[in-house]
Amino acid sequence: MPTASEPASVEEAAAALREAAAAGRRVSIEREGGDVVLSTARLDRILEHEAGDLTCVVEAGVRLSALQARLAEHGQLLALDPPGDPTIGACLAGSLSGPWRHRYGTMRDLVIGVTVVLADGTIASSGGKVVKNVAGYDLGKLFHGSRGTLGLVARVALRLHPRPERRRTLAVPVGGPDDAQRLAQAVLHSDLVPSAVDLLWGGGAPAILALRFEGTTRAVDDQLARAAAMLDGAEAGDPLWGQALARQGAAGGSISFPPGELGRRLASLGEAVVRVGDGVAYVPGPVESPLPEPVRRLEQRVRGQFDPQGVLVA
Amino acid sequence: MPAPVSTPDPVSPERRAALGELERELRSALGDDGVVSAPEQLRTYECDGLTAYRVVPALVVLPRTTEQVQAAVRGCHARGIPFVARGAGTGLSGGAAPVAEGVVISVQRMNRVLEIDLESARITVEPGVTNLAVTRAVAPHGFYYAPDPSSQQVCTIGGNVAENSGGAHCLKHGFTVNHVTGMEVVLPDGELVELGGKTFEQPGIDLLGAFIGSEGTLGIATRITLRILRRPEAVQTLLAGFGSTDVAGRAVTEVIGAGILAGAMEIMDRLTIEAAEAAVHAGYPDVQAILLVELDGPAVQVEDEMARVEAICRDLGASEIRVARDDEERAVFWKGRKGAFAAMGRISPDYYVQDGVVPRTRLPEVLRRIDELSARYGLRVGNVFHAGDGNLHPLVLYDGAVEGQARLAEELAREILVACVDAGGALTGEHGVGTDKACAMPLMFSEVDIDTQLRLRRALDPDGLANPGKAFPTPRLCGEAPGPYRPHALEQAGLADRL
Repeated sequence: MPTASEPASVEEAAAALREAAAAGRRVSIEREGGDVVLSTARLDRILEHEAGDLTCVVEAGVRLSALQARLAEHGQLLALDPPGDPTIGACLAGSLSGPWRHRYGTMRDLVIGVTVVLADGTIASSGGKVVKNVAGYDLGKLFHGSRGTLGLVARVALRLHPRPERRRTLAVPVGGPDDAQRLAQAVLHSDLVPSAVDLLWGGGAPAILALRFEGTTRAVDDQLARAAAMLDGAEAGDPLWGQALARQGAAGGSISFPPGELGRRLASLGEAVVRVGDGVAYVPGPVESPLPEPVRRLEQRVRGQFDPQGVLVA
Repeated sequence: MPAPVSTPDPVSPERRAALGELERELRSALGDDGVVSAPEQLRTYECDGLTAYRVVPALVVLPRTTEQVQAAVRGCHARGIPFVARGAGTGLSGGAAPVAEGVVISVQRMNRVLEIDLESARITVEPGVTNLAVTRAVAPHGFYYAPDPSSQQVCTIGGNVAENSGGAHCLKHGFTVNHVTGMEVVLPDGELVELGGKTFEQPGIDLLGAFIGSEGTLGIATRITLRILRRPEAVQTLLAGFGSTDVAGRAVTEVIGAGILAGAMEIMDRLTIEAAEAAVHAGYPDVQAILLVELDGPAVQVEDEMARVEAICRDLGASEIRVARDDEERAVFWKGRKGAFAAMGRISPDYYVQDGVVPRTRLPEVLRRIDELSARYGLRVGNVFHAGDGNLHPLVLYDGAVEGQARLAEELAREILVACVDAGGALTGEHGVGTDKACAMPLMFSEVDIDTQLRLRRALDPDGLANPGKAFPTPRLCGEAPGPYRPHALEQAGLADRL
């Protein structure tokens, strides 16, 4: 019978991991599978928000919505919009992202410092609270996508962005794969600066290219008008992004490819929502994407150093 | 930093024999022109931009291909010989300084642009391609490469990857790590691994991100794929003169408070302005502080935001506000800023460039602290900084000919670093830890933090052959005594909350 562990502090999390390791019990973080199931539900405090520095420090169990609500009071945001309402720790360990990645990148581009707890109870930090910092190895990057296999992400320092004054969305009807390719290239090679570009593809509905513009009111109005004329689209509302997120949230896997190969890839895709700028398609079916052998071996070597006893469930 | 020239360790006969064997092996693999071993030629490689720190390597290898890099690394690995990767040697922290009785692997001959994929907005290059050459290669198509370190005309992409280089414009567009989508890497045992590709989306842990900025201690990147950006529709640059750096700093705070994400925001103080004027005659106004603000993006957005920036500067009593009318005038504005370090040579026989970071809101107090230190040490300190992200570059002026002044300058520079870290900042924003700050790492990180970070090193380079003695403290370099560790910024955040 697995034991649930809900530490309320980093020190408690370290003690829980240390004890489990000593007792030879295996630990899974934020999911089933271990003799001990470790949850960050009570590590849910926003520790600092320095509005003037556009940075904050939070515990890993803070929900994205709770953080966004707090930041909104100061006209700021964390530029990350994955489906659902994951914790900050899950955003990092699970490399979660949404349409905004087009402009702001993913969690790896927003993390400026982390405190992690290793399987043996070691508490360690890297990075810091400043946006520019090249001292030491960047554990924030290393733990991005680590899915609980290297240790527990306990605290995270983040860089923030100002809330844009205005946001508008353009929906462009798309014919076939060639048309999608043509439209995506037209956007890339233009003066348009969208903050998100998603392609809703297949799934029994007409294909739509969605572009989000954010900035000063005048600039957004201007960009939208130019985009509408250039791409032959019409303004749409936020529900379009809701659809894109719903598809991503329900996806069974993702496929990534050079962004310039969009048209070719679409020809063999059924239903998908595609982040056009980064070349990522979220698709319904499960996708086998095994790591290349040399990379898999490298990951194993890293895991062997961070969790030599194999306490954490991979 | 004025550091003593290291005395090479006495070479064991075994090492000497191993080096001889390696040289023969590499001469046959790379050809005679790919291996340098003549003492007078080896001197060319004895230091990087941190010129006070010099070590003559035993051998320099000049590979032209990935296979040749692998041959060199394998040869070193098989014999336990340390190696140091080197780009253009412009780094300021001694990251490419040779290791005594070790090998330098220079990537300067690997300078081909391999592929320009405009449809994906990617470019793939060899590590010896210069930063500026990337932008030049894609400029005809309306694209550019965003990271722009001051040394961009000569520094290499390989070196940028090692140091995670930024530049004046990283405030908005990010650092090297935010622009590399894929790399081919020769690991310290000579094995080849492909990390990432043309998309940022990768399964598994972000080894690519962790490798960037590891200062050559995890391997050598031999092929790098970069994201290129579309040239912005509009760029506008404003220069404003203020009565003090404090007020200039307040302007920066208000710009950020107004929700404006500038491409760059730079402040120069009186001393730096004087030096820059003497050196490049940028026509800067006669003021105590200059603020440069550059905005880029859609023309209407830039226009709106520049109006706000101008209003902010005017309201704060800027004595002079200029907006560059064209690229030429913009270049003049930047000329003094980009040449500020070198310009110090006009007003001082010697200078040392410090590189520290503070949370932007703590800038005023840290600048006051620097003033106090300057007065106490009796040495002038010029301040030029990336104000948007709190990255300070204090320039400590001294005269090496005056007995003891170099030492004083070194101490002063270190105290500035302590002030930065005390304010919740970082040891280095862009120059790297290298040789220069390896022993200062305990100012910022506990022994456990450092040991944990080094687990990554042990995974990839268990023998510690890739650029040893750099980026992290070693007992040999720094002595056994632990440094004056202060709680990590994140630790403090947690503790403060518990009180």
